[in-house]
Amino acid sequence: MADPIKVRLVTPDRILVDVTAEAVEIPAKTGYIEVLYGHAPLLSEVGTGEVRLHGGEADEQRFIVARGFVEVLPERVTILAETAEKPEEIDVATAREQMQHGEQIWNEAGEDPEKYAQANEIMAEATTRIEIAGER
Amino acid sequence: MANVLDLRRRIRSVRNTRQITKAMKMVSAAKLRRAQERAVTARPYAAMLASVLESLKRRAEIYDPDTGELRHPLLLTRPEKRILLVVISGDKGFAGAFNTNIFKAAANFIRENDQREIDIEAIGRKGRDLFRRRYPAAQFTQAVEEGERPQRQRSSGIEVIGEHTGVLERLTYERVRELAEEIVARYTHEEIDAAYIVYNEFKSVIQQRVVVERVLPILEIGARQVAESREFTIEERERAAEAALSAGVSLYPKEAEAAQKQLEDETRNFGTAEVDYIYEEPPRDIFADVLPRYVTSQLYHATLESVAAEHAARMTAMDSATNNASEMIDSLTLTMNRVRQAAITKEIIEIVSGAAAI
Repeated sequence: MADPIKVRLVTPDRILVDVTAEAVEIPAKTGYIEVLYGHAPLLSEVGTGEVRLHGGEADEQRFIVARGFVEVLPERVTILAETAEKPEEIDVATAREQMQHGEQIWNEAGEDPEKYAQANEIMAEATTRIEIAGER
Repeated sequence: MANVLDLRRRIRSVRNTRQITKAMKMVSAAKLRRAQERAVTARPYAAMLASVLESLKRRAEIYDPDTGELRHPLLLTRPEKRILLVVISGDKGFAGAFNTNIFKAAANFIRENDQREIDIEAIGRKGRDLFRRRYPAAQFTQAVEEGERPQRQRSSGIEVIGEHTGVLERLTYERVRELAEEIVARYTHEEIDAAYIVYNEFKSVIQQRVVVERVLPILEIGARQVAESREFTIEERERAAEAALSAGVSLYPKEAEAAQKQLEDETRNFGTAEVDYIYEEPPRDIFADVLPRYVTSQLYHATLESVAAEHAARMTAMDSATNNASEMIDSLTLTMNRVRQAAITKEIIEIVSGAAAI
């Protein structure tokens, strides 16, 4: 059995999770990474996606996160995320609304690259939400 | 002299008032407890964000090695010609000097900077009402070319650029983020040269102060840039302590603080371990991403504290009101008894002298 790694998920409002797990999957901006005990120190942005905790105290927990950072140390992982919610908390209707909002920004963006980036981000978030909500 | 019946009516009315103020005090105390807890639980995130920035600052090249220019627009300082002032007041009154203090600090700030152009962003209904009466709203040209920022038609040195009411009642990070992103966008588009917030800082029930804090440009990370502050006077402090005691709110949440302290020590180390990190993205990209979030987190922190301070102020004010009502009832009861006694004595005298006359 692998050594447990400490995992902390922090949102602007509170520390959401503070447990140990055997492995953590993190949606880094450039793709999912999986972290086990003894990982090399790493600092990365977190994109929209799902944080999955395996084994240990956490025992299969999943969270949808968006806009954040992760710091990985050999024995500890800290994830800072502006939003984090459990899959069962997701409201599909709100996610759809968010999707529409994103599309609207996209359509009205014209030639402003910032607007497109913003729209993309919103839509990516909404897509992840809808997908994960659909799975359960 | 008032008659007994009138006095009795007044006593009843004051008693009703006292009941209301007492209820309001208890409600505020409950809300204060919740707000206090929120402010405390929100600290780790802010602290961690600050430490990430600090550690990044050491690694990432903030200055371009060739030209010596700053790499991120939010760190740039320009001569302060146009200032944005975010005023966080309350949505409701009945909170003693809470709103007045904020307005005084804001007015002072405006007076000191009257040769500059000032935009006011009002959070809270009370602030909006005041500034809307006093200063014109900002005018923008209606037709906005695609991809362009709206053109400003400035008609006066001081204008109200935005108002946010009802944000404080159900405070969410989302709402604050929207505002913060707007402020950051204005700064990067050079529509403003600096941004300040005026708010009530809340350390504990008896330790509060009105502060004027600079959020943009970011001169030093981690350190708060307080431009001006006004502390509680000793009397105010005593008043607040009394109110808290009678409402059952602890002045120093000690146990919570001990646990918090350990956590804060840990969070302070977040991202600052003396190791070489692997960066998934270039440090500069991460840096550019964290800076606006840092602004948001500061603004969020300010609103959370202001909410807690507002409830504390209301609790204190309502406690004073309740005490005043009790005093008034006592003195009215005394007068009533005197009047009644005088009436009885008069009647007896009349009967006795009437009997004597027969």
